[in-house]
Amino acid sequence: MLEAKNVTAAYGKHVVLDRVSVRFAPARLTALVGPNGCGKSTLLKSIMGFLPQSSGEIAIGGEDRSRLGRRALARRIAYLPQESHCPDYMTLGELVELAGYSRFTLAGGPSETDRKLFHSALETVGLADQAGRRMSTLSGGQRQRAWIAMVLAQDAEVILMDEPVNHLDVKYQYSILKLVRGLTRSFRKTVIVVLHDLNLAASFSDDVVMLKQGRVVASGPVRTTINSAHVEEVFDLSADIFERNGRLVFLPHQSLESLDQDARRA
Amino acid sequence: MTGKALALCVILLGSLGAFIANLSSGATSIPLDAVFAAFFAFDAENYDHYVILYQRLPRALMAIHAGALMACGGVVLQGLTRNPLASPSTLGINSGAAFFVVAGAYVFDLGTEAQGLAAMAGAAFGFICVLSVARLAGGDKDPRGLSLILSGALVSMLLIGLANAFLLSDPARRSDFLGWVTGNINHVYFDRLVFFWPLGVLALAGLFFLARPLTLLTLGEEKAASVGVSVRRVPRLALLCVVIGSGSAVAICGPVGFVGLVVPHVVRPLVGVNMRFALPAAALFGACACLLADILARQAFAPYVLHTGILLDLIGGTVFAVIVKRFYLSPGGQTA
Repeated sequence: MLEAKNVTAAYGKHVVLDRVSVRFAPARLTALVGPNGCGKSTLLKSIMGFLPQSSGEIAIGGEDRSRLGRRALARRIAYLPQESHCPDYMTLGELVELAGYSRFTLAGGPSETDRKLFHSALETVGLADQAGRRMSTLSGGQRQRAWIAMVLAQDAEVILMDEPVNHLDVKYQYSILKLVRGLTRSFRKTVIVVLHDLNLAASFSDDVVMLKQGRVVASGPVRTTINSAHVEEVFDLSADIFERNGRLVFLPHQSLESLDQDARRA
Repeated sequence: MTGKALALCVILLGSLGAFIANLSSGATSIPLDAVFAAFFAFDAENYDHYVILYQRLPRALMAIHAGALMACGGVVLQGLTRNPLASPSTLGINSGAAFFVVAGAYVFDLGTEAQGLAAMAGAAFGFICVLSVARLAGGDKDPRGLSLILSGALVSMLLIGLANAFLLSDPARRSDFLGWVTGNINHVYFDRLVFFWPLGVLALAGLFFLARPLTLLTLGEEKAASVGVSVRRVPRLALLCVVIGSGSAVAICGPVGFVGLVVPHVVRPLVGVNMRFALPAAALFGACACLLADILARQAFAPYVLHTGILLDLIGGTVFAVIVKRFYLSPGGQTA
């Protein structure tokens, strides 16, 4: 169980998160949604302790995060930033092996158990036979799978992902989110994902946290939380929410004709 | 054996070959059997044995020291700044060390040991100056890091200019430093090697110890921190090691330029970016490059002997242009 209590964060004088309190249920996929600048990514960074101007309490498994050292925290929470940089000439196998750093002794390297874990992480993302390939030669989708393998190889109970499907086409978006959802089912990971696309959030996540201007507007299971009232409040957009193939679908009210009429009037 | 281990072995063998060739070549070529005999069956009456042990060996050890430390400094600086042009010579470290040594000797009449401390203080001073100028010039907003390199060029020119001004101020002592200030691998500086080699070894050991977290830092600060790296302590310790290592090399034989810039670009395609391989490979390759440059400096214009630092500057300047073309002027240029 991961819990944020009264978390406030600011960049200079600009307050981005204002007393946010939210609980993330174990072994579930939670999506953080909201308009640009609402504090989704900042909440993940606050959980990781990356922001100097941040207050409040983060508890993981009932333990105060501020009491955990950097290595101990890495064994509990893994994080995939929005933009990941990989130097040229680094191979996929090397990248995944680096994930075990928090478990390595100062002088030693990975144990046999670690090596099995690295292989299993690569197998899970379907890249076990590509370990010797340079990251720069992988496709966009493969590269994102590689980063997910690294996060998985960290063997932490909680995984935070900041917009993991950005810059990917629809096919890759679906395959990556299917993989991410699978982590909660097969490995009982608690996964928190920042997503821009409400339809993707509704399709793949178990729970959703809706943020606006640094505050939580609504949170809970997808079916009860994503509704027209909340969407209008968070995004200032009236929309139909309906069910198709067991999933919620979000469609803004305005038809193409009315959009064209608005454009002509303008 | 993996490809990387094999590449490391080849570089090691190449370095050993360069070491032996360096001992053998000079104003007079000494046959290999005499080179080995000088080590294993030294004959005090034999002039060749004397030349090998008291002139060429110190010179070769100096080349190894300077080459290994400058190359490792380059690997670490390019990794931390993610800038393909970063190196001790381009980021003011070498020029800062040279300026402090000359200023210390001229103004405070520092002895050889104190000059080593001055070199390290100067290396840190030069590097901090470059970072400060880059920040003033808006370097934080420059993703390709050109402002950092331009600040390095500016600070280096200024500090070397000041060092030269000190040299001109006292013609009687000029000859003591005139060769040194251009980077001169020469057995006359053997006393400096005796004083400062432990600092170089300490710096190398520190960098090898930090290899894993340094590799993680090349993925970005947030990613490294999320995996458990102390993103404040590790870069500071690594930079301290680079400053001590480069400072010790400059204190011995002056600012030997461009090995730190060029070698990382050569070893990366061979052993990759993992510092656990890249640092030993760079140390060996840097040593090998300096040993070979030293041979060339002695032989190319015989009977005249060129300073190794000048030769390395000539080679390095050309490679600098190639790197700028590849990384900055080509569409979709790569990152370090």
